[in-house]
Amino acid sequence: MSTHSITPANAPDTPPGTPPAPPAGAGARRRSRRSGRHLAYWLIAPALVFMVLVHLIPTALGFALSFKNLNTFTFRQLFGAPWTGLDNYNAILFDSANPLHSGFVDAVRNTIFYTAATVTGTLAGGLGIALLLARQFPGRRTVRTLMLAPYVVPSFVVAVLWGFMWQSDSGIINKVLVDQLHLFHDRPTWLLGHNSLLAIIIPSIWRGIPLAMLIFLAGLETMPRELHEAAAIDGAGPWRRFRYITLPLLRPLIAVQLLFGVIYSAYQFTIPYVMLGSNPGSDADLIMTLIVRQSFSNNLIGFGAAASTLLMAVMLIWVAFWFRAFRRDLEAD
Amino acid sequence: MGVMAMSPRRRRRMTNWGLNALTYAVLVVMLSPILWLIASSLQTRGQLASGDYDLLHPTVAAFGQMWKSVDFGKYLTNSLIICTASAVLATAFAASAGYALARVPFRGQKAFGVGIVGTQLVPGSMFLLPVFLGFIWLKQNTPIHLFDTQLGMILIYTAFFTPVAIWFMRYFFLAIPPELEEAAMVDGCTRFGAFWRVVLPSAAPGLVATFVYAFLLAWDELLFVTALTATRAETIPVGIHNFIGNYSEEYAQLMAAGVVSTIPVMLAFFATQRWLVQGLTAGAVKG
Repeated sequence: MSTHSITPANAPDTPPGTPPAPPAGAGARRRSRRSGRHLAYWLIAPALVFMVLVHLIPTALGFALSFKNLNTFTFRQLFGAPWTGLDNYNAILFDSANPLHSGFVDAVRNTIFYTAATVTGTLAGGLGIALLLARQFPGRRTVRTLMLAPYVVPSFVVAVLWGFMWQSDSGIINKVLVDQLHLFHDRPTWLLGHNSLLAIIIPSIWRGIPLAMLIFLAGLETMPRELHEAAAIDGAGPWRRFRYITLPLLRPLIAVQLLFGVIYSAYQFTIPYVMLGSNPGSDADLIMTLIVRQSFSNNLIGFGAAASTLLMAVMLIWVAFWFRAFRRDLEAD
Repeated sequence: MGVMAMSPRRRRRMTNWGLNALTYAVLVVMLSPILWLIASSLQTRGQLASGDYDLLHPTVAAFGQMWKSVDFGKYLTNSLIICTASAVLATAFAASAGYALARVPFRGQKAFGVGIVGTQLVPGSMFLLPVFLGFIWLKQNTPIHLFDTQLGMILIYTAFFTPVAIWFMRYFFLAIPPELEEAAMVDGCTRFGAFWRVVLPSAAPGLVATFVYAFLLAWDELLFVTALTATRAETIPVGIHNFIGNYSEEYAQLMAAGVVSTIPVMLAFFATQRWLVQGLTAGAVKG
């Protein structure tokens, strides 16, 4: 394909002064490969140093902190705080008299629900919109571009904006639902009690849909047309074609988004923290808001580290589970 | 005329129109919160409290007041400096590491690749707590001040967003034909020379997209900046959070602040959209 010759020995314009090219063969190739390897290490060095200093070492230290009794009284000792073995884990997981335990159970329940609802909603919404936008229609390019806008609104603005829209009396959502559509008798309270989890789920889905849509759209665009045409000739309706052709071909894309969507949602912090405050209440407290509140407002650093470790362990289990479930899709690539 | 009586062609046309209408309706629904944000920022505090908007007579008063209620200028400056610097550094590190992953085979390549994905698995709080304690320790025992400084946040964000940036850059390097650098090496360039003089310039769109993406992520980060700053190096998300705490009734100003903090990232995103979209979808589509 290239018009250039690739063998160095044949290079017509070797700069003057360079040593004659060694006989083309194993020796030269090995040497260039070895110098290439040194180069590779230099190239990854800056990134590696930062990852070791900010990710790897602190993660290990965080794990160590989870076995320490680090609270208001021992805070001055920093990393030198006394060891307590598994006390932090015990308190979180099993000590029902400990307020941290009930707080943790609430946060786990809310986080599971939040994650399941957000990921499902984002993928379903993204897929639905991608199917709509994959068609030919007037203004296709513009619509595709504009549809990305929610993704670019920063999370903290999303939280402020929706927090304002959810207001019970003056908020636009109740104005539409109650005053215009008369769906409810009384004005629902969105930011307190049971509804508050919904109040953070819906904006999260709204912000997540454009990215899911982009990924599905990219998948739909590379899909072979002939399959659909052949199936249509065989009499398969739109639903059957979607179910037996489109969906299986999109499986790898669904898999990847599930993997990262679950992790991203389980670690969500900004939206509940900005919309509902540092204590979103037992109905909407997520693991992350709980960890941050206990670690920084109440100085329970050891607790925070233990809860973080548990959260990470659950995510590792999720990754292992995911890998088993979708291994075939990964190999298909 | 009933649907059943229509000819198949006519029915297909009706379905098409219906789906087009649905598409536009979905777009309107998706955009309406953003339009509401803009509309609300152009009203007075009283109009927002009562909900009686006067969209025909907008006012920009809130955009003036918001700078005085909290020191929004400080937050904006901090955000711009911290996000720009860390996005530049992350892009630079990612360009070199991404090139190694894409083109220069080395021992431990697979482990490095897994490590990059692995960083995304660690909950922020897991390494935030030790980093927080470490910053405080440094402040107490050494002249290195990272707590509540722009430098501290820049270092953290650089590390934070380098892994994602590496995947971005790797994709853009893979898309460049290898013949390009092979030709340069035939012409006497070293491998590094080829990377520096030939590959990097042709990966310019990728560099821009990676920079914008890292900038977007840094702009949106709240957890670390909340914990690692106190008064001097706070960025916009902290400012907005402080604003809610102190002026919870000033919704017009809050909406104006929301608009102001969205504009820079919106502009950056839509200006570089073409390449950014490639980077965002490549990871998922190509595996």
